[in-house]
Amino acid sequence: MPIEVQANLSSAQIAETIHETILQAIPGAEIEVRPGGVGHFEIRVESDAFEGLGRVKQQQLVYGAISELLSGSNPPVHAIDKLDCVVP
Amino acid sequence: MTSIEEPVREKIDQLVQSHPVLLFMKGNRQAPQCGFSAKVISILDNYLDDYETVDVLSDGEVREGIKLYSSWPTIPQLYVNGEFIGGCDIITEMADGGELFGTFGVEPPSSTVPEIHIGDDAAEALRQAAAQNGGPDQYLHLSVSKDWQTSLSVAAKSAMDVEVQSNGVTLMVDPFSTDRANGITIELVETAEGRGFKVDNPNAPNLGEMSVQELKTLLESGDKFEFIDVRTPSEFETARIDGAVLLDETEYTRLSALPKQTKIVFICHHGPRGVNAGQQFLGQGFTNLHNVTGGIDAWSLAIDPETPRY
Repeated sequence: MPIEVQANLSSAQIAETIHETILQAIPGAEIEVRPGGVGHFEIRVESDAFEGLGRVKQQQLVYGAISELLSGSNPPVHAIDKLDCVVP
Repeated sequence: MTSIEEPVREKIDQLVQSHPVLLFMKGNRQAPQCGFSAKVISILDNYLDDYETVDVLSDGEVREGIKLYSSWPTIPQLYVNGEFIGGCDIITEMADGGELFGTFGVEPPSSTVPEIHIGDDAAEALRQAAAQNGGPDQYLHLSVSKDWQTSLSVAAKSAMDVEVQSNGVTLMVDPFSTDRANGITIELVETAEGRGFKVDNPNAPNLGEMSVQELKTLLESGDKFEFIDVRTPSEFETARIDGAVLLDETEYTRLSALPKQTKIVFICHHGPRGVNAGQQFLGQGFTNLHNVTGGIDAWSLAIDPETPRY
């Protein structure tokens, strides 16, 4: 189910959208999204799916999931300041 | 999830497959347009003479497409042998941890501890700088670039750094700088702009001094060299030596593109402007540079009284 991205969402709403989008791509993941400055977020994802993957591949799983939120001329997410991928 | 358009995917595939080392970046190798791209270029330059870059600023399709292609939201992005390696943070960490030698198949340079001499005043100033800017895990770093620019900074220690003790100062030297830094002397000097560090590096090529007699012999020998006049166009109109070319923007661009061992002789009115020009070209990595001592005025006095003095 694709997620509708609306303009002028609050940081909290965007954070929730990020949360939902990652959860769809990595079912069962423990996800924490912390809003920073406007359009900036820090993300922590804990999932078995990261098991055996290098750091780049782990982050690609997450970035790949939320690429829609980061692309376009005025994306709701400007930058992920920090991304921690953790194997439980 | 947004998918990448097929023609863009094919275009990026083609790029990634046809270059063993490819960096998607903002700007180019000579003029990076973003700090992160510049940082990665400065790292790659240590390991590789040749590699390819793609300027995403000049191609909107690739700029957006590469983020989807790599599942990576930021530029720069490094590909080696078709495989995505990472962005700025990851490449920096790999460099610090010594992993990039394996990535590029490059032998690590020698880790011989360089001999570094630090004057008493300079040592005191460096200790103060380290104490003010330092914290736990923060160390003074010294690096000497390929074009012989020395820089001092305070940063975290990396696994590849070589530790040097000199006059009570601890310096970290990166493995690419150790040979270039061997034998250097650091002194504290007073200049018109204030106190500053002066670095004397015996490994760096110097600007040679050329007397007007030597210049005359060289001109008569017929040997090939670049003879560059760094005065203003009106001074050049007033007095000139046959064979000299005025340094303008076009000439500067032409010279900059010549092989670095090209012999270049600079001349000005009395000498100082020639020294400045010579230092500038030393900074570009040229190794066979000379300045005519006393300039064209010395030429008028000692060699050719027909050359007008002004």
